[in-house]
Amino acid sequence: MAIFLSGAIIFPFLDGALVSMVSPVWKAENVIVRNLRNGVAFVSLQQALVEENTRLKERLSSLELDILSMSQERIQENTLLELVGRRGEFNMVVAAVLTRPPQTPYDVIIIDAGSNESITVGSRVSLPEGPALGIVSEVFSRSAKVKLFSSSGEETSAVLERNEVPIMLVGAGGGNFRMTFPRDVAIEKGDRILVADITSRLLAVVEEIGVQPTDSFKEVLAKSPTNIFHLRFVFVTP
Amino acid sequence: MTRHVLSLVVVLVSILVFPYWVYIPVLFIAIIITPFFWEGILLAFLIDVIHGSGMEVPFSLASPLALTALVALIVLLPIRENLRAYV
Repeated sequence: MAIFLSGAIIFPFLDGALVSMVSPVWKAENVIVRNLRNGVAFVSLQQALVEENTRLKERLSSLELDILSMSQERIQENTLLELVGRRGEFNMVVAAVLTRPPQTPYDVIIIDAGSNESITVGSRVSLPEGPALGIVSEVFSRSAKVKLFSSSGEETSAVLERNEVPIMLVGAGGGNFRMTFPRDVAIEKGDRILVADITSRLLAVVEEIGVQPTDSFKEVLAKSPTNIFHLRFVFVTP
Repeated sequence: MTRHVLSLVVVLVSILVFPYWVYIPVLFIAIIITPFFWEGILLAFLIDVIHGSGMEVPFSLASPLALTALVALIVLLPIRENLRAYV
């Protein structure tokens, strides 16, 4: 019991030091894993083809994501914002992802940029293609923890693009979200859910709609437009 | 003592390198196979600190993983005693 109490009291004060100590291990792990993959691909032609295929698939999914997040309305909105003197885009810091799910069990990622790069608690984190990902929850000198919007129980204000309905998106873990709509609200698989701020970034895409004949509400499941298990780089808006 | 150190190192490496569905079972296996592995509680707190999204002092007392490790260790105490009595 004494160990439990001392651990509960001491460990929260050591988080910055512990993450800073462990960060080099994660950086080395990322480098080793990447080099191993490249090495094996170099030795084996078949493996190289598989790698190329994977790379092309990743590129395709990235381009699809670009198309998904850059609708015509978005372009017009950015032009309008520039005309009225408000910029839609801000200065961003690019950061490498040190750990990602499933290494972290709570949909939290650790990035290699921190207070030295002007990142603060509450800074918005997004994918290079544009979709919103999460918010910085803890900042250390050279690293930061990002709580993803899909973190279990995390509530995020959002807008269903189809009919501009404001919704509360609830994180369900593993890059998934759930929400409840009145039965009469029209919604279809593939509908886009946007962040409810001036940037209107893509947040999730509707995947499943469940409704029983006797229910007044329908339960909707959505997923993040990217695979959070393979994140490599993110943009942070300080 | 060697068993304790070995378990500690294995769990620590798992926490740093492997996904959660590897290191959480490894932690509980270490708690079961290593006698009086009270360090398991500290390792559970370490998981919460480095992989969690921030831990404040009053809430850290309710850490589900550390509490489960504590309960597992307490439950294992009488079981170990009984096993010894029959050997």
